This record gives sequence, C-alpha cells and structure tokens, in this order.
Amino acid sequence: MAETHSLQDLRQAAVASKVFVQRDYTSGTICKFQTKFPAELESRIDKQQFEETIQTLNNLYADAEKLGGRSYLEGCLACLTAYTIFLCMETHYEKVLKKIAKYIQEQNEKIYAPLGLLLTDPIERGLRVVEITIFEDRSIGSR
Amino acid sequence: MPSGSMSGGLSGPTSPPHPTVPSRPLRPSRYVPVSAATAFLVGATSLFFCFTCPWLSEQFSVAVPIYNGIMFLFVLANFCMATFMDPGIFPRAEEDEDKEDDFRAPLYKTVEIRGIQVRMKWCSTCRFYRPPRCSHCSVCDNCVEDFDHHCPWVNNCIGRRNYRYFFLFLLSLTAHIMGVFGFGLLYILYHTQQLDRVHSAVTMAVMCVSGLFFIPVVGLTGFHVVLVARGRTTNEQVTGKFRGGVNPFTNGCLRNVSHVLCSSQAPRYLGRKRKAQTVSVQPPFLRPQLTEAQLAAKVLDNGIQGDLHRSKSSLMESQSADAEPPPPPPPKPELRYPGLSRGPAGHSEESSLLNKAPPTPTMFKYRPTYSGPGKNHTALTHAYANQMSRRDSLKESSSSLLQSSQQPGYRSEPSLDGHEGGGVERSGPERTGGGPGGPPGSGITGYSLGGRSYPSFSDPTVLAGGASRSSSVRSSHNAPPSEATTSTSYKSLANQTPPPAPRNGSLSYDSLLTPSESPDFELAVPEMSPGRPRTPVVGYSSPYLSAQIAQQREAELHQPCAYSTALLASPQHAGYLRGSTSSPPAPPERERERLLHDSQPPHHHHHHHHHHHHHRPPRFSRPPLLSDSGPSQPSYPYRTRSTDTPLPPTTHPPRSPHPPPLGKSLSYSSAAAAEMQYRLVRKASASVGGGGIQAPKDEIQMKSYSRTNGQPKPSSTPSSPSNPVSVSTRPGQAYSSAGSSQSPTHKPGGGVKKVTGVGGTTYEISV
Repeated sequence: MAETHSLQDLRQAAVASKVFVQRDYTSGTICKFQTKFPAELESRIDKQQFEETIQTLNNLYADAEKLGGRSYLEGCLACLTAYTIFLCMETHYEKVLKKIAKYIQEQNEKIYAPLGLLLTDPIERGLRVVEITIFEDRSIGSR
Repeated sequence: MPSGSMSGGLSGPTSPPHPTVPSRPLRPSRYVPVSAATAFLVGATSLFFCFTCPWLSEQFSVAVPIYNGIMFLFVLANFCMATFMDPGIFPRAEEDEDKEDDFRAPLYKTVEIRGIQVRMKWCSTCRFYRPPRCSHCSVCDNCVEDFDHHCPWVNNCIGRRNYRYFFLFLLSLTAHIMGVFGFGLLYILYHTQQLDRVHSAVTMAVMCVSGLFFIPVVGLTGFHVVLVARGRTTNEQVTGKFRGGVNPFTNGCLRNVSHVLCSSQAPRYLGRKRKAQTVSVQPPFLRPQLTEAQLAAKVLDNGIQGDLHRSKSSLMESQSADAEPPPPPPPKPELRYPGLSRGPAGHSEESSLLNKAPPTPTMFKYRPTYSGPGKNHTALTHAYANQMSRRDSLKESSSSLLQSSQQPGYRSEPSLDGHEGGGVERSGPERTGGGPGGPPGSGITGYSLGGRSYPSFSDPTVLAGGASRSSSVRSSHNAPPSEATTSTSYKSLANQTPPPAPRNGSLSYDSLLTPSESPDFELAVPEMSPGRPRTPVVGYSSPYLSAQIAQQREAELHQPCAYSTALLASPQHAGYLRGSTSSPPAPPERERERLLHDSQPPHHHHHHHHHHHHHRPPRFSRPPLLSDSGPSQPSYPYRTRSTDTPLPPTTHPPRSPHPPPLGKSLSYSSAAAAEMQYRLVRKASASVGGGGIQAPKDEIQMKSYSRTNGQPKPSSTPSSPSNPVSVSTRPGQAYSSAGSSQSPTHKPGGGVKKVTGVGGTTYEISV
C-alpha cells in the first residue's frame, strides 16, 4: 500500500506511552475486549466514549464469530467446491474485519486523534490486545 | 508428489510476508511422515482407480468410480487445507507490548472463564501471555490459537483455523479407506479364480495398505469425534486438564460440533497487510471535560468498570496511613515512555481488576504477580515493585499458590511435593541469598501445594532455571527448547490435574489448588490462635506475615501471651485485634465466602467450626505453615496444609473449605497479620464486590516478594512497624527469617501421609 508522507505526518506527535486493552475471557474464547477504563486514559478521554468504542468493537467481533445460517452456508459451499471458493470469495469474518478496520479508522479520525490518542486494529496483534497509543501533549495551554 | 513442495509450503510459519516470524532451519526429517502419508494416499488411490475401478464401473455402475473420485477429492482437499493452512499462529508481540522486563513479570496470569480459573502462561518466545487454549508449538516455534496438536502426517499444527479441515480429513479418509477396501474386496471376491493377474495382485496390495491404515485412522477419528463433542482439544485431553473438572470452553455437544463445522473461517493473523496510518496526530490535543458530578460519580462508582482505582488509591492511602509509611513508589516504567507518569493511580489500576480480566500489561510492571483482580494490590504492589528482580519464580509460585489456594476443591499433589520442595529449596537460597526458605509461596507451605501444580516448579525447565532464578523468571523458561505441544510442559502440568470434583463448583483450571489443603486450612485455624482473630482473608499474606507468623509461633510456643500482647500493644492493631478477636470465625468465614466464587458458604462454616473443635491441640504444636522465625523452630514437616492435621484430609475432600490454603496459613499468622488481612479484605470487599479473592493472592505474592528481597514492606502490613519483634521492622531480617523458615517447611518431614483425593488419586503429603 503506498504510503504518502505529507509534511504534516512529519510533525506527528511523539509517542508518550501505549496502553493495551486486553481480551476479556470471562465468556470463553470469543473475541471480546475488556471495557474497563485504563488509568492512563483518565485524563485523555471520556470513559463513556472509550467504553462505547470497545463495546462496538466487541459487538462487531461477536457478529463475525456468530454461528448462524450464513456461516453454515459458507461452510457448505466451501466444502462442495473443495475450498476453491476461498480463492474468489471473502469469508464473513473477513468482511467484518474490514468493517472493523473502517470503524477504527473513523474513530481515530474523529475522536481519538484530536485527543492525542490512536487506536490500533487488534487484528495486527492477533486479536489479543487493543493498542492505544498515547501521544505526548506538548501544548502548554491544553484545555 | 513432491513432498518438499507440499510440506515446505505454507504449512510452516516461515512464510515470508510476515517479518515477525523467524524462519527455521530446514529439517528434512520433518517431511518424512507427510511425504509417506501423501505417497500412500495418492499412490494407493491411483492404483485403485487404475486397476480396480474399470472393472467395477463396468460390472456395477459408473457411480462407483465417481463416488470414489469425489471421496478422494474431498480427502485431498481437506488434507491440503490441513497441511497448508495457517493454524492460527499468533504474530510475535512487539516490543512495546512487553514493557516490563522479563524477570519482573509473573510467569502466569490467571483469568476467570465462566467461573473457572484458567492460567495463562507467558510465552518467552512470542512475548505475550498465551491466551486460553493457546499453546506454543516447539516444532513450528509458534504460538497457535486453540492449539490442538502438531500433526506430523500433515507437518503442520492443528489449531483454530484448520481444525475443521483436519477433522473432515479424518472423517473423509475413514470413509475413503472403507470404500477402497470394500470395493477392492468386492473385486477380489469376483476374481478368486484370477488372483494371479496383475490387477488382482495390485488390488490386494491396495487392500493391505488400506486395511493397515484403517485401524489407526479410525481410532484417531473416533478420538476426535469425542473431542469435538466434548469441546476439548487434543492438548487438553492429553494433558488431562479437565480430568475430573469442568471444561470452561464447552457449550454443549451440539454447539461444539456446529462451532467446529459451521463457524466462519477464522482470520489469519500473520501475513496481513498493515494499513498505513493515515491519521495524523498532532498537538494541541483536546482534553475531556469532566464535570464535578462526573468526578464525584467516578469516586463513588463501585469500581466494576474501572474507576476502582480511585477508591482504591484512597483506600490504600488511608491504609498506608494506618500501617506504616507508604513504600517508595515502584520504579516507573519510563524507560520507554518517558512522558508517562504513573502515579498511584497507575498502581491502583492494576489492582482494580474487578472484572477478573487480566490487567493491561502496563500494570504488570508493578504487579509482582498477576493473580487476576487484585484489589489491594496497590499498596503491596508498591513495595514489591522495588523487589522485582529475582522474585519471579517466587512470584509465580506464590501467585499460583494464591490462585490455587483460592480455588477450593483442589487437592494437593504430594507426589510433586518432593519435586517442588526441591525446586523450592533450590530457589530459596538464590532468592534470599542465604535464606533457605523456598519461594514465598512455599512459605505458605501448606499452600505450596499449589506450587506443585504450577509449572514454575514442577516444570523441569523451571527447576533447571531455578539456578538462574536471579535472572528473569520468564526468561528462565527459555531454557527448555520447547513448550506447549511437547510433552515437557504438559507432562508437568498433567501431573497436576485439577481436583476431582468441584467442591464449590469453581475449579482452578490449572489445578493449582489442592483440595486437601482446604480441610487443613480450616483445621489450622483454631489451633493456630484459638484466642486470636483468625486471618480473615486467605490471600492476604504480606511479606511480614510469614515473619509474623514465625514470630507468633515462637511466641506461642514459648510465651503464649507475649507476642499477642506485643501485637495488641500496637495501636494500629489493637482495634483490629479486638474487633477481630470478638468474632474470629466470622470475619474469616465471611471473607472466604466472599472470596470464593461459587463457594458454598454453609459448608465452609461447618468446616471451620467443625475443625476448630477437633484440631485445636495438634495445630498449636505444629510449626506455622508460613514460616518460622528460623533456627528456633523445628523443621516443619508439612509442606501442605493437609499435613498439619492428624485428620486425614480425605475426610474433607468432598467439601472444599473454600478458603484458599493461604487462608489456612494465615490462621497461624499473628494477630497483626490477621488484622491486616482483615482490613485489606474489608477494604477490598467494600470497594470491589468480588475482589476479595484476589487480595489474598496479592498478599501471598507480596509475601513472596518481600521474602525474596529485603525491600520495604508493603504498606498493608500493619504490624510491621509496631511489632516489637524485629521481624517486621527489619526487612532483611524478616525476610531472612522468613526465608529460613521456609526451607524447613519444605524439607520432607518425618512421615509421609497418603491422602486420597476425590477422584481416587492418592497423594503423598509429607508430614
């Protein structure tokens, strides 16, 4: 993917720290992240907002892993075509992952970047953690 | 069929796209089984098609070769998918994720899954705590999600992503073999007069091959059918993780089967294109505006969702004020992130894991051992943060002990005691630099049972790493080349099967606890300090606890009243002591019940009371579990709580006294310790509903920490400053005494008691 580095990117704030929101395994191995508000974000973001983001992610993952008619049909079709269907068709999970990536991008642009935070798609970490990068706030008169 | 291409393809983690997976050296021997399997499969089927099918299609119908053709195609497709598909390999964690130094982090982290404690092990290769059901394959050198096993016949790990194909491969192969054999037999039966023909000979050869492979394949298929129905992986079945226990990962037979067959294809983690970050983050940044009401609400929040740390820190501060000067703040993890300032909030955050999920890794730095939600970790954590360096094994042992101790229904596994004792002793000297005591967990000798179960002790790698315990605990586990799949770690784990039956329904997944401990625990209580308040909370062993206990023991033995008087003299404790003395059984009972997830409180009460009456005298004469003051103490025969009492634990196994073993040892502890724990538990339970159970773990962990290094005690140790005995006030002394007391406890005592566990297993407990 071509990466364009604009002059703006060069002025990207320095990374102060990273917070890792771990998986919530209380309901088993389904993909679910803890909605507990990390302490480091205390002063950076609304608790409500954070929880909402995580909850939406959890819902999306739950939808991806849902055992429904759709996934069953997908499985049958794949079986019948000796799995060659995977070469042309995108699985349900992948579709949801794309949706999640888009959602995270949107959240970053609208909410997190202005607050000096950045969410990383958990798929890059093997769906183990949601990495939130906290940027250094060098502005003196931050509101 | 070129085996090299097949096996050298995408089956291994060496696929180039993802840079985080290192390439492995080529090992030709790995490809022998898969080559053989492929050769037999394709070769035999081809011969069947060439020699047997033509006649069959003419004689009977063309459907025969078509059916066989489709079946063969199905087998091949599943075989290829099982071979080439990424089983669910986790990419290595990036450096940022592992902020703490290796030797600081606990080896295990516990999470609760549907009420059952499951232990997550730190993977030193991949540098993260393995999610539940994840295992590191030594052959592939990767952590695989929902690891089933490494199959040599496909030369690939079977994990979450390709288990379905592997299962279907087995099913289809069974059907295929039956088809080939059956049709071959049909051919032979019709050609009994022409057996000298080539076709017949070939058909007979094919029949032999298929007949030969039929038995193991059917066996394996049947095995996996059972596994799928039960919702287990091969790994879990073979290591006996759920033997006699409850499988937290099962959703019922039907749902398990549909999950395997009908769930959407899980995504690949490796080799994904990393999206370029197009969002630019530049200051000035907005800040959230909190109204006063919001702030107030946060403080009043009962903490479930994370504002606990506020109340926690306030609690901790008040607690510190009561006890002793707050310990110096732990070293900030600023090494990588200089801009970050962690205050008490950071620490308290660690402990405020109410929802029983692992805390964010940032907290691990301060957390001596992770034991799930640890409410009162903060204060203790502070103290321990300074003492990181070699305590890890202790940490782990203690944490695991804590965990185990908190899990009712676990039986000690004495057979490992010797092992563990050795390990413990080994670790002891290194840890305290002379104090022979074993890991703090072992201090909780009775509880050390838990230690036996955790790999940190029984795992040969850990034992081997005992010598290098000063180095990072985690890294010590690097010594063994393989983990997970191979038998090494699992064998050690397998020895520690969970207790047979859930006493109170919540079984520790990793069988850290031993049920026999519970009975002893209760028994110990009355004897320890009949007139003293019993330690309400099991896990709250502070570093001083052992010292205190030792002191107390000594005092009791020699001057029954002196110590308690001294303790009572301390202003801080007076109130608590009195208060707790007034109803010794009540607080501990309450705390225990609260601590236990699904305990059966009535049983506990019965237990405690029952045991109180029975075991008072012998208890008193026994050395404390947690450690004695040292040379004056006789060797402590029992390493487990169960050994303490003359009453065979067998009588108690069915009812698990839920208080963790720690609690038992606490009963021995001095009043101060009890009071401290009580206070901690109170605060913990007040602030966090179910957090109490974690507190004891923290206590124990703290204890281990304090034991290992003479760092300032955690603020939660109330008795330390006022304790006339120098134990508490002098950390080094305390630790050394604690340490020294540890070792005797671990040495095998005079006798070995055999205890029968619930599941019929017999444990030998050294008495």
